[in-house]
Amino acid sequence: MTAARSVLTGLLHYWPLALIVVLWDLWVVVNGYTETVAPRPWAVFADVGANVGEYVPDLAYTLVMSLAGLGLGTLAALIAGIGVWRSAAISGVVTPAALVLRSVPVTAMIPVIARLLGYNDSTVLAITAIICFFPVFVFTVSGLASASQSGRDLFAVLGASTATTLRRLHLLTAVPSIMVAIRITAPTAVLAAMLAEFLIGAHGLGHLFSTARSYMEMDRAWGTAVVATALSVLTFVGARALERAVVARVT
Amino acid sequence: MRGSALRRLYPVLGVIALVVLVEVVGRFELAGKSWPPLTEVLASLGQPGRLDLVLRSLGATAVAAAAGLVLGTVLATAGAALGLLVPVARPGMDRLAAILNAVPLIALAPLLIMTVGREGTPTVIAALGVGFVMFVALSSGLLAASRTHQDVFTVLGAARLTRLRRLQFPAALPYFLDGLALAGPTAVLGATIGEWFGAPSGLGVLIVSAMQNFQIPLLWSAALSATLLSLLAYVLFSRVQVLAARRFA
Amino acid sequence: MTSTAVRSPQRLPIDRPAPVTGSGIALRGVSKEYPLKRKTSLRALDGLDLEVAPGEFVALLGPSGCGKSTVLRLVAGLEEASAGAVDVEGRPPAQLAREHRLGVAFQEHALLPWASIRSNVALPFQVAGRPVDDRRVDDLLRLVGLGGFENARPKQLSGGMRQRAAIARALALDPDVLLLDEPFGALDAVTRRRMNAELARIWSEQQITTLLVTHDVDEAVLLADRIVVMTGRPGRVRYTCTVDIPRPRGADVTRTPEFHGLVDTLTAMLDSADETA
Repeated sequence: MTAARSVLTGLLHYWPLALIVVLWDLWVVVNGYTETVAPRPWAVFADVGANVGEYVPDLAYTLVMSLAGLGLGTLAALIAGIGVWRSAAISGVVTPAALVLRSVPVTAMIPVIARLLGYNDSTVLAITAIICFFPVFVFTVSGLASASQSGRDLFAVLGASTATTLRRLHLLTAVPSIMVAIRITAPTAVLAAMLAEFLIGAHGLGHLFSTARSYMEMDRAWGTAVVATALSVLTFVGARALERAVVARVT
Repeated sequence: MRGSALRRLYPVLGVIALVVLVEVVGRFELAGKSWPPLTEVLASLGQPGRLDLVLRSLGATAVAAAAGLVLGTVLATAGAALGLLVPVARPGMDRLAAILNAVPLIALAPLLIMTVGREGTPTVIAALGVGFVMFVALSSGLLAASRTHQDVFTVLGAARLTRLRRLQFPAALPYFLDGLALAGPTAVLGATIGEWFGAPSGLGVLIVSAMQNFQIPLLWSAALSATLLSLLAYVLFSRVQVLAARRFA
Repeated sequence: MTSTAVRSPQRLPIDRPAPVTGSGIALRGVSKEYPLKRKTSLRALDGLDLEVAPGEFVALLGPSGCGKSTVLRLVAGLEEASAGAVDVEGRPPAQLAREHRLGVAFQEHALLPWASIRSNVALPFQVAGRPVDDRRVDDLLRLVGLGGFENARPKQLSGGMRQRAAIARALALDPDVLLLDEPFGALDAVTRRRMNAELARIWSEQQITTLLVTHDVDEAVLLADRIVVMTGRPGRVRYTCTVDIPRPRGADVTRTPEFHGLVDTLTAMLDSADETA
């Protein structure tokens, strides 16, 4: 009974996955594509299943790069956000500049940074961190500024020090915005890491992908796409769970 | 009075400071030769054929991004409306949108080049990115009408399509425009990713080839053009959004 | 499109009382339960009987949370009874709604913020897929005292004016049954009293079968032919009385001992209903 229901619920939520696979297969068959143009889904799944060992190191590498980049970028954004929080003038001047930099397409930023820092793996990390920095910074500054007037008045009347007010009022008020920033930035971190790996890296899913592509190993290229998608979905789901847990704690 | 005038100056000061910083770092080569002064980047546009090349690429990217914006928006609107008219499809469509969003756009580019061709790829990738943003915006927008408004339509005996047209679509408009302000830059990003993989022309192509050939001023011209296009799309749709919010809120 | 050429078939002139037809509203043994977590449920109504005769104005009076709004939602076809029968004009209410024969106004005016007052009042025509009867809309706007405000947007009007527009919208298609759920509940006391007088005047020109839900005793006495007092959870009918004060009931009525006597009785009833709740 409950098993049947959970199958039904699963079907209700995940039918598009099945639909995508079926459409993909149909589309390959109907167009008569050969293996070198577009492989059938079964071939791709078989390649992933049979060569897990080939995928795992690159998968782990991209995962570490994305998470480390996200962590570094977030940390730097928090420090910078608190730094400009003290002064309305500084945050008024810096925030619009950050907004402009946030609008720089990743595709334009990566080649410029790659040129500046050189073609190596630490550049991949730096790129991911820089790309994660701007959205988190913008959200942190607006979050810190969003504490209510009555809250500020209360802390002023209580004679709280700046540090106490920051810790007990402003940072707590900013937590939900910071968590939103992390959630929306997490998939971007994966994308940024992969784009950087694709262009300049020697490891990671982006690199695996570009290699498979240049050797015309279509099963491997499509398999990388499937694995990268799964990684990106997991990152997003994880960030969302983290957001819910943290926000539930502070509110 | 003075304080608010000053506060309005801050953003201007911020952007000026950014421009000056970029210039100074370049002028004194604080970040090496790969960071040119802005004036040099601008001057490089004076070289014969250079401005023409950048503008042509900018045009190609703008067209691909705009086409992707339209295509993605149409698909997302149809999907969101379908999710509303056929509630059973709703949870699945939400998952589909989340998955589509999570597909790293880079993973699709070479596959699309094999299938929709080099010309079409930037548009299709832009449309995918836009489609997700707009689907999420519209899905919440179409549910934004208040319970009481819904009740009034029920009691008046409104058919589903009437309700959609007269209540849910207008109520979703602010969300739709909010979505467009986010989707504009997404379209530019999607188009340039598509171009990375060998479209005939466009800023993405220009950026990669300039990077690989050490054409630093050209790299910066192209990157700045892409940034301006992205900012322009954002500012334009944000303005429309503010104007519409005055009427619809 | 010229408005005079096309008229909805049910249209009645505003200046003549509608002929009393149909069978009104009948609730028999109605219960309503809302499921809560794990096999428990909240019983909002328990074996409720209520009739509203054709052309009659009944006020449903009760403390907040007694389920009186649930009664209205059942009659509007917005919810289904867990047990018992709800008939409006001899049919299930949802069917009446589908035939565009119900009019409703809620505490929140629920006007469309993006549409002018005129389009808001014309909305029922569009929802019913009928050509908009411009004369009818004009007449209604004049009837509720909004002549000259046709092109304003809801947010440009005062709270009282918005409620009048909402009532005009409810009347647009000459509904068989008018349902009012605390329509003036969000207004201040002075405006509310003025709106009561307005509604009394409007209703006397067009005596539609009406069910008004309110917690305001004065309002009920000023407007209704009959008042039904409900007890708290689960909602049951506690007391019914007819209001014999002759119409029109102007401001002078509120100073008569008759009015005060009835208000006092009903207020006492509400207080004790609160205690049992």
